[in-house]
Amino acid sequence: MDVIEIKNLTKTYGKARGISNISFNVEEGEIFGFIGPNGAGKSTTIRILLSLIYPDSGSAAIFGKDCIQFAPEIKKNIGYLPSEVFYYDNMKVKELLNYSASFYKKDCSKRMKELTDIMDLDLNKKIDDLSLGNKKKVGIVQGLLHEPKLIILDEPTSGLDPLMQQNFFELLKEENKKGATILFSSHILSEVQRLCNRVAIIKEGKIVTVEKISNLTENTYKKFKVETKAPLDATYFQISGVHNLEVKGNVTSFIFKGNINEVMKKIAGVEIMNLWIEEPDLEEIFMHYYEKEA
Amino acid sequence: MNIFLHELKAYRKSTMIWTFSLVIMMVLFMSLYSSIHADAEAFLKVLKNYPEAIRNALGFNEKNFLTVVGFYSFLLSFVTLCASLQAMYLGTSIVSKEVREKTADFLLTKPVTRSQILTAKLMGAVVSLVITNMIYFAAASFMAFQFKTDDFSMKIFFLLSLTVFFVQLIFLALGMIISVIFQTIKSVLTVSLAVVFAFYFVGMFFDTSGEKVKRYFSPFKYFDTAYIIKHSSYESSFLIAGAAITILAIAASYFIYAKRDIHAV
Repeated sequence: MDVIEIKNLTKTYGKARGISNISFNVEEGEIFGFIGPNGAGKSTTIRILLSLIYPDSGSAAIFGKDCIQFAPEIKKNIGYLPSEVFYYDNMKVKELLNYSASFYKKDCSKRMKELTDIMDLDLNKKIDDLSLGNKKKVGIVQGLLHEPKLIILDEPTSGLDPLMQQNFFELLKEENKKGATILFSSHILSEVQRLCNRVAIIKEGKIVTVEKISNLTENTYKKFKVETKAPLDATYFQISGVHNLEVKGNVTSFIFKGNINEVMKKIAGVEIMNLWIEEPDLEEIFMHYYEKEA
Repeated sequence: MNIFLHELKAYRKSTMIWTFSLVIMMVLFMSLYSSIHADAEAFLKVLKNYPEAIRNALGFNEKNFLTVVGFYSFLLSFVTLCASLQAMYLGTSIVSKEVREKTADFLLTKPVTRSQILTAKLMGAVVSLVITNMIYFAAASFMAFQFKTDDFSMKIFFLLSLTVFFVQLIFLALGMIISVIFQTIKSVLTVSLAVVFAFYFVGMFFDTSGEKVKRYFSPFKYFDTAYIIKHSSYESSFLIAGAAITILAIAASYFIYAKRDIHAV
């Protein structure tokens, strides 16, 4: 079953901001990455899902229900963590969390205790006195304390130190194992790579591709680096499937997608000093998508 | 219910301060009453020197001025002005506070509808005003009995005091619609002051001419104290006008807020 179905979603505001004709689905139980640079439309999409803003056209459904028409019902099972968290300053952490829990008609106290322990959060401090990282932790706990079936995270890691980030990711993986679906938006590729099963890449308000992380990194793409005795002609490796071709002196590097034998034949045709074949990281693939579009 | 209680708690401090200020103001004026009453003739003479227009604008009405309710209705115009500021401030805060404190995302991603949020917040504001008025009225009645020089009708005294609440409701609704239309009000106080004083001066200006129609332009002139003292009742046409403005502004606020995009800040 698809937890999120987005169909031809369009929303424009301001100058050249917003999204146009976005469609993708998030399946139940997956951790779905939503990646793109700042201003690409990630937050716009997420805010439509949460019915904070309304689309110009197209539709989005969560748990099979229209996300605007059934917004309050759907939100019972959504946990949301915005990129910047600001909470009622004159409240204590405990009061804020209890206020948050009071919106869900179930007892959240046990889970709240567990989460604050994991996140190492002092319940009796005033929110005003907290550092950015600690405010973020409050945000994480308030987003997860009602054990939501869908967790929506909009660039959640900013302000968290690496150790806390680790804890947070473990927490998300655990929630995921218990059955929660996660939509994780980010512009940092390594964290998406670490966590997600599938990813949608968005650029200037349009979805560039939706693929499995494993497809992106393992199966299709290889990163080649060839060191030759004599400098190569820049066009030597210019065969179909080669991207990001770069020639620096005797070293030629590129990313390849396609039948690997084609490249091997080309490599066999020159005298090589050294050869590296690696899995490219997402960043490089990502750059490739962006260059292709540009 | 949780939002309502949260709002009430958030308003607690400001409600206390406003209530306290109104009571202090009323007490100061009322304690002047006995001395003014003692020097009645000299005082009336001074008043006569002012042009009639100004006397009307300030709410002096010599026939009633030296009775308890007459004097009370004179000070009431200042109390109403301050109380309107409180109401306007509350009304403007309803939506803009969440935007300013950037808590709109928190509240609007909870399983509640936007109209439930508005209702809870509106109720919180109304209850704060009711509390203010109850405390104020208790204090005002106490003062009136302390300083009375003549017998007065408790009903008229209550009707007069209640006008404060009615004017507050109108400004609460006006504040609400303003904050819904202009979501990113940076300084709620500036806006509140500007709107309230604008209406106050409009009311003062129009009142000098004595034309009834012009009174509709300022909520401050919907309740003519002289009429209330004379008839022990309100002018129904103005009561209806006030109610209509309040209801329309609130209804429009719900309508606009439900359709509004809540942008990230």
